[in-house]
This record gives sequence, structure tokens and C-alpha cells, in this order.
Amino acid sequence: MALYVLRRLGLFVLGLLVTSAIVFGVLRVLPGDVAQVIGGVKATPEQIDAIREAYGLDQPLLSQYLHWLGGLVRFDLGDSLLTGTPIGSELAEKLSVTIPLCVLGLSVAILLGVPLGVWSGLRHRRASGVAVSAGAQAVAAVPVLWAGLLLVVLLGKGVGLVPVLPSQGFPRDGWAQPGAALSALILPALTIGIVEGAVILRFVRSAILEALPQEYIRTAAAKGLTRTQAVLRHGLPNASLAVLSVIALQAASLVTGAVLVEALFALPGMGRMLADDVGQRDLVKVQSEVLLLTGLVLLIGLLVDVTHRVIDPRQRRAAA
Amino acid sequence: MSTAPDPSTAPDPGTAPDPSTEPEQVPAPEQAAAPVLVDRRAQNRRRNTWIGAAAAGVAAAVVAGVVLTATRGAEPAAAGDDAAGGATSTLTVGLTLEPTNLDIRTTSGVALDQVLIDNVYEGLLSRTADGTVGPGLATEWTVSEDATTYTFTLAAGATFSNGDALTSQDVVWSLDDLVTSEGVDSALLAPVADVTAPDDTTVVITLNAPDPDLEWALSGRAGLVLDADATNDRQTTAIGSGPFLLDSWKQGDSLTLVANPDYWGSAPAGVGTVVFRYLTDTNAAINALDSGDLDVLAPIDAILAEQVTRDDVELVEGDATDKFVLAFNNAVAPLDALRVRQAIRSAIDHPALVEARGGVDALLGGPIAPGDPGYEDLTDLYPHDVAKAKDLLAQAGYADGLDLTLTIPSFYGTTLADLLTSQLAEAGITLTVESVEFSTWLEDVYTNKDYQLSIVDHAESHDFASWADPTYYFAYDNAQVQDLVAQASVATSTDAADDLLAQAARIVSQDAAADWLTNFRTLTAVADSVHGFPTDAINSRLDVTGVTVDQA
Repeated sequence: MALYVLRRLGLFVLGLLVTSAIVFGVLRVLPGDVAQVIGGVKATPEQIDAIREAYGLDQPLLSQYLHWLGGLVRFDLGDSLLTGTPIGSELAEKLSVTIPLCVLGLSVAILLGVPLGVWSGLRHRRASGVAVSAGAQAVAAVPVLWAGLLLVVLLGKGVGLVPVLPSQGFPRDGWAQPGAALSALILPALTIGIVEGAVILRFVRSAILEALPQEYIRTAAAKGLTRTQAVLRHGLPNASLAVLSVIALQAASLVTGAVLVEALFALPGMGRMLADDVGQRDLVKVQSEVLLLTGLVLLIGLLVDVTHRVIDPRQRRAAA
Repeated sequence: MSTAPDPSTAPDPGTAPDPSTEPEQVPAPEQAAAPVLVDRRAQNRRRNTWIGAAAAGVAAAVVAGVVLTATRGAEPAAAGDDAAGGATSTLTVGLTLEPTNLDIRTTSGVALDQVLIDNVYEGLLSRTADGTVGPGLATEWTVSEDATTYTFTLAAGATFSNGDALTSQDVVWSLDDLVTSEGVDSALLAPVADVTAPDDTTVVITLNAPDPDLEWALSGRAGLVLDADATNDRQTTAIGSGPFLLDSWKQGDSLTLVANPDYWGSAPAGVGTVVFRYLTDTNAAINALDSGDLDVLAPIDAILAEQVTRDDVELVEGDATDKFVLAFNNAVAPLDALRVRQAIRSAIDHPALVEARGGVDALLGGPIAPGDPGYEDLTDLYPHDVAKAKDLLAQAGYADGLDLTLTIPSFYGTTLADLLTSQLAEAGITLTVESVEFSTWLEDVYTNKDYQLSIVDHAESHDFASWADPTYYFAYDNAQVQDLVAQASVATSTDAADDLLAQAARIVSQDAAADWLTNFRTLTAVADSVHGFPTDAINSRLDVTGVTVDQA
């Protein structure tokens, strides 16, 4: 087991390294240049060149890449080209919005998706089960932005039918006002959670349907369990492996959802920062942000793999 | 399967959850009853209990959130704790365009002028919303007969926010430093030969040649007075002599100013705190206004203004020097042909453009906006005339039509480009619209001049000189215009300069060097509790010193 975890960690680091090279390369293909953004529409070509030189943008790409990598090894993400502030502290501030948003969103998605998915799987021959499953199919197809707008119209303060929740913004002093901060995240988290939850629901339902005709279910039923009990007690653990992987994948797509949702609800989080920075070609910052996000996704993958082995004795035995 | 507590608030997912806890089912002995005889309903009840509990969890989280919010009352999320009284009040203003960096010397763009000039930094001179230059840190000044020597008298007792006295040495240093560091707008000081400080309250600026625009330049970035001894990082902090201090900047969210308690001037800030919130999404901006999180939205999209549901908000129209320019690449075919450019101008229905943008904009027929030196009404030069446009195209050799590409930065939306596409199609011009990121526009269009048509809002005032610069992205090279601009730049009186600029502007417009789609004017949404909020020229300057807010 320890050897396996070590091997996976090695793969994780290698994955990060490959990602860093790809991210760095791809960003350099984008047209546009931060020096021009800084200079704006009044700068002369000489001034633009001076800015490029000042920021080391005239250096060969390889040395720019190695410089960035050298910083990463020392956990120094560098300074933003545009604002001159350390990227690390800015990231921390933005993540204090985005991570709670993603965690809340994913919690809503799991709390909605898993129970309802089991329920509609067990009732797949009844009208109620079919209705839930069809509803989920429809909700999963709803664009995140549209869902958000709908929720604002329903519950947004000052605009909604039941005007109770803030529909935009975040307290200026952040989590110093926990109540206000949390309430600012409810509508955005519901937006993400409902749409993502529908996807998880459909997946859980499929996993249950797949478990129903299995031999072990029949065996358990023969031993006196009802079909439902058998599915819950023996089918669900088997299905949980696949469901876990899907939830991990959904966590990755949450980040995309967060970019849109943060724009819609005017939240000062990572998503909006990333969009702004790409727009302004602050590539030094973008590459660190993207690497961090990719690192998170890789880390989730690592955790899922390790969890699989912990949950599933067959995998452990196969390796032994 | 353990059972859940009674979720009395849970929405009912099926049959009502059974609050009576049932004992765990013991698997029956093998020879006993067949599975058929198991009590299914009890099983179902238990399962429903479990699902109900989960649903209750979600419901409880939402309810808790709602309660949390409701108990906070109507207090906007962004407001601090205010005591009652004038200068302790908070003004929250929604804006669109955020500065990328706070360094007033290196970062171009009006987003920075808007929030920092007049509020945090003060200039040697100031300007009103209509572009008139008036006293600033210099209370009075005299100009020599030959218009090459300006003598300024500084206000007594001016101080910076760090406590340093503001003297004539700071003025000399500020102007010299701007020129040597080649900072933003340093080009406006090109005619300056030297700046001296004969005593602590006098500054003398000597010019190589007369410059009718010098006073205007000194009322902008070129005239800002910074502390020669300050060592702060100008990218994230600001030390100025203005009525406000820069309190904090949360990138991507807001910039906050607080009143300077030790302000030297006679007109201190009317509010204690000003929060500029940057809302890029127009719907979020209107939601923020409606829910009372904003006192002012500047500007509000004229098309969406009718969506505002709050009734204590007034919409005020304001003048601006913004020019929505449909730029032609005058150096490349087919736009190097005068008739093609004239055809495009004749094919455009300008009143329809104004209407489509919400009816607030003004018509503009030439390169100089109302309120800028040299403005005259040129809207009658190219009236909307499709037949004439077709005729001109045929004369130019494009009787069968013409294909052109329009490059437009994506943040302007699609309204203008769509309308132009349909209007030009009537005259036989097929427009392909390429919507690009602004940074891409900067590289392709602005720097490399690799384009045919482009739309950009030129927000700067006093920017006519770009028509006399053949290397600018308009690629417009007209010796007569260049000569007139050169004469105007050394005229000894502003009247003489205005006259020369007006002549040049007429030539540029007749020559159809570009089309001026509209003079973009702003609509500002101001709550009734806010008094004295500026509504003219707010895109380039937003002096909030005199604004007051009634305490709710």
C-alpha cells in the first residue's frame, strides 16, 4: 500500500511538471501582450519595448519557463506583472471565496444527487421514479448561467419574488462577517449544486440499475433481504466506486462552473480573476493559476485512487 | 440502516416519514417465510425516512442561510458600520472598468484617472466636467506676453496624506520625474524647457514654444503633484494631497477611499467612505442597484435602464467626450480609395445607431467631440443615403459589392456591429464581424495595423492629434491636416488653436478618414439620498469630494 501511494505521488509530480510545460507553451501562443495592455492606447512602440524589458518578457522563453519553475519549487509563484503584488497572497484571497463556493456547491450536488438517484433507480418502473429521472435529465441540460438567473429572479434580494438572498457581491471584509459571507454564497452554490446534482443523480441511478440484476443481489434476496435492502447494502458499496470517480470528475467541472457563476453573481473569486488575467495577458499569473487548478484536479484523482484501494479489498489483494 | 430524527421541516418526498423508529429487521431463518412476506411498506417507510432526512439537510441549510440573511436586515453586504452624521456616511458607487494597477505614472487608461485624480491625487490645475481649466494646487497663475512663461502661485499650507508639506519643490520634482521616467502623458510636457521653484510657493514653467494645451495638460495626469520624498509602492498604494485617502483595493471587486481627516483644503470630503465596486456583468450591476447595495451606478446601460425596479433612483444623462470610432485602415485597399470610405459613411444610418444604444448618445459627424477644442457640428457632411453609397461604390469599381472585415473588442457587445452589418448590406457591402479580446485588438489592430475596419470607443479628450500621426493605427496621412495641427500646437491663444483644429477636423471628416458612429453619452443612476454626484464626463474623471449622502 505504501509503495502504491509513493508510486501515485511520483505520477502526480510528473503530471504537474508536464502540465506546467503545456500551460506555459499554450499561453505563449495567445495573441496579445501584457506590455501592450499596460501601455494602453497611448504608448509608443519604444515605451512598449521598455515595459517588455522591465518585466523580462524579452528573455528567451526557455529561461522564462525555468525562472518560473525555479520559483515554484521554492513555493514562490512570483509577482503579477500588472499589479506588482505577490500572486500567492492574491490567490489565497480569491480562493477564500472560490473554495467555499465549490465545497458548498458540491455538497448541495451530493445531497441532492445521491439520495434522489438511489430513489429513482429503485423506482425506475414507476411514474414517480421516471418523473424524477426525466426532471434530472432536463435540469442537467440547463446552462449554469440560466439556472443562476432563474434563482435570482426567485430569491434575489431587491429583484426576486421572495427577496431574501443577496444576488451579487461579497462582503468587503470577507469572512470577518461569516453570516454575510455565507449568505452571499448561497444562491451561487445552489446554482452550481442543482445543475451538478442532476448529473450525479443520473449517474447514481444508472449504477443502481446496473446493480439490480446482479447475481449477488439475487443471493442476498434469497437470504431474506428485500430487493431494496439488498441494493442499499450490497449494490451501493459496489456502485460507490464508480460514483466516487464521477463526483471527482464533477469537482473538476465545478471550477468551470465557478468561473461563470462568479461573473454572474459578481463574486471576487478565482474564476473571475482567471478570466480577467487571461483577458489582460498577465501570463505569469495565469500560468500559476492554471497550474494550481490542474494540481487540484490531479490531487483529487490521486485521492480517489487511494480511496478506491482503501474501499475495495479486491484491488488491494490484486496488488499484493 | 440507522434511522433519522424527525425531519419536521423536510419537504415530503413521498409518503410521510414515519417518526416511530423501527427495530432493525433481523434476517429470517432460512426455512422461514419467503421474501414475499416481508413487510414492504415498513421498508419503504424507512427508506423514505432516510431520503427525507437528506432532503431536510438541504432544506435546513437553505433556511439557515435565509434566516441568517433576514436577521441582518436590509443592511447592504458591502457597507461598514456607520454612525449617523455627514462625514461618517458611506457612498457606494458601481463602476464597470477597473484599473489594472494603481501606478498613476505607468498605467494608462481612464479607469485610474476616474478614481484617483481629484480624490486622492491633486494637480497643479483642475478641470470642470465641461473641460474648463481652473485653479488646483495653484490658486492663481500668470502667462507671459509671448505665452512661453507660466508663473504659478501655490496654495499655502498644502500637505500630503503622509504629513509632508507640499511645496514648489514637489511640483518641480513631479514634472521632471514624469518626463525622465517617460510616464503616462509625459508627451504632453514635450514643449516644456524647464520647471523652476524661485521660492516655496512659486513655480515657473518655461516653454520652448507656445502651447495652447499646456493648461489643460496640467489639469490632468501631467500636472499631478506627488511627494518627492515618498517611498511607497505606487502600484498598490497612493500618497497624494487630496481630500480622500486610498484605503484598500480588492482586485476584481472594489476600491475603497476614506476621507482624509487632515485634509489641508477648504472643501473636505462630504462622505466618510467611498466604495467603488467594479461590476462587469450588467445584470449583476442592476441587481446590486435594485437591492440597495449601490447608491449610484455610473454608468448604467441605457438599454437595460428600464429594468431598474427601485423607485428612489433617478436616471441622469451626462455629456462625455467619448467617440465611438469606426476606424478605416486608410493605408490598405480598398479603404485607401476615397469613394469607398465615402460610400461606407453614406450607408450608415446614425440616428438608428443612437436609438439602438438606448437613445442617450448624441450624433457626431467628425473627430472632435462636443466640449473639446475645435468642435463644430459636422453631422450634415454625410447624411444617410443608400443610393448615393451604391453609386460611389460603383464608381470605385465595386458595383458587384464589396467584402470587408470588422474587428471589434468583445466587451462592446454586438449591438453596433450587428446594426452596421445590416445597414452596410443594403448598400452592397458584406461585413464579416470578428469579435476579439481587447489584448488581441491591441496587438493586431493597434500595433500591427492588421485590419480593415475596427470599432473602438476613444474616450480621451483632446486627442485630435492622432489624425496628424501617420503611424497611428488609422494610418491617415494628410499633409494639410498635419500642418494645421502643428500650427495649432504652437498657437499663442486657445481661440486661434481652436480655429485651426476645427479646420483640420472638417478636412478629416470630409476625407472620410473614419466614421464617427456616436458620441457616447452616459446615463447615471443616482439614489435620491445622494446629492451632488457628478454626471458629466464621469468616464474620465469622477470627483466625489462634494457628494453627500442622507443617513437612512
